[in-house]
Amino acid sequence: MSQSSWRERAAQACLFALLILSSAVLRAQDDELKPVPVLTGSTAYFTRVNAGQVQDAPSVSPLLLLPVGDHLLIEAKGSLSDTFTKSALGDYNGVVGYGMTYAQADYITKYVTITGGRFITPFGIYGERIAPNWIRSLQGTPLIVPVTSGASLGGMLRGGIPAGTEKVEFNYAAYYSANNTNHIVATDRSTGGRIGFFLPGPRLEIGASFQQVLQLDRPHSAGMHFVWQPNAVPLAVRSEYVRQSGIKGSGYWIESTYRLSQIPHLSKVELAGRGQQFFAAPNLSAATIKKLGALGIDAREGDGGLNYYFRSDVRASASYGRLLATGRNANLWTIGMTYRFVMPVWPTGGGF
Amino acid sequence: MMLALVSAAQTAGDSKKENTPAAQTISDGSKEAAAPVNQLSQDESDRLEGEKRFHSNCSRCHAAPPKFPPRTMGTIVRHMRVRAMLTDQDMKLILRYMTK
Repeated sequence: MSQSSWRERAAQACLFALLILSSAVLRAQDDELKPVPVLTGSTAYFTRVNAGQVQDAPSVSPLLLLPVGDHLLIEAKGSLSDTFTKSALGDYNGVVGYGMTYAQADYITKYVTITGGRFITPFGIYGERIAPNWIRSLQGTPLIVPVTSGASLGGMLRGGIPAGTEKVEFNYAAYYSANNTNHIVATDRSTGGRIGFFLPGPRLEIGASFQQVLQLDRPHSAGMHFVWQPNAVPLAVRSEYVRQSGIKGSGYWIESTYRLSQIPHLSKVELAGRGQQFFAAPNLSAATIKKLGALGIDAREGDGGLNYYFRSDVRASASYGRLLATGRNANLWTIGMTYRFVMPVWPTGGGF
Repeated sequence: MMLALVSAAQTAGDSKKENTPAAQTISDGSKEAAAPVNQLSQDESDRLEGEKRFHSNCSRCHAAPPKFPPRTMGTIVRHMRVRAMLTDQDMKLILRYMTK
């Protein structure tokens, strides 16, 4: 078979697959109450001053949701940012960053969702639930986040089910990931999962995670998470702990947010605070410490900030943090805005 | 899918109707009046339960979003079913609350 013939056949196969997919999507839209494809995500503009270093960073993170039939959801999220750093001469130099956060297909049944593709590693709660900049209460990423592999490429089983009573819900995720060295979508060969128990009454969730890396020095990580939202006050407390057996150490963060909804003129203001500690692995060599960067030294950090909700989807944020680390003490200032957009990319037939 | 979800939620709620206060009150009156009042009571009960589950699940991570058109909401709730690992029943009740 000649090369041109092979290409023609590949193009025809792609076209055919696209037609089949379009047909399935169109069939899913027949009923006026069927879900439609949606483009959502967020844009943000933040100015950061990190130890005197000024940065301006506009960014956009689009997420395409494509429901197919009654059980399937295809979702893909990307990110694009341009970080302008102020030089000693006063001019700004921009560095473009881009990536594919996830691109996955989910087959949803009553008790289990089967996921395939590139997905966020189900470890703890920060990566999967809190990381989007329109969600996170404080824009700085916790020190322990890089301890585990944040993205995976492979398959996952997950779901949430009542734990034999309406007072307790059980959620779980188990995954396997292959190694991928492409710089945009790099992943480790690893396996692991997470379990959690959610008590809807007191609005309390506790859970644990595990990850076993299956390459290089094969470290494993274990973690715990906790979320509590008391019914009586608009307070949320979240926390995570992680410990790795390899060279990446251990640490925790605890964060609380309080919405001033009981004060008429301040009801759109949310106060946030976070404390965290990171403990570097003992007996690291100088070369390893240099290679690990921030994960090579002990650190403590305290942050406080406020968010003002102009609307539920438009928010202004400001925060101050103090990092205490050997040779790296720093003041961390952040101010900026986020906008979360939701737009159907198919006629919705009206509604609200 | 929405119709199926609403239908399933209604079916699941049928068994509880006899015990609702509204159902007990109207049991003394005419049977003709009972059906609509019963249905109203069940709708209100589901709406309240959906609102409760919406607040307990969604606000664990983010501020309450506005209500979008039903077909858009169907997609978002399906996404959140996966992301936040909602139970099947939570998803149905939240979807019903967010599209009423």
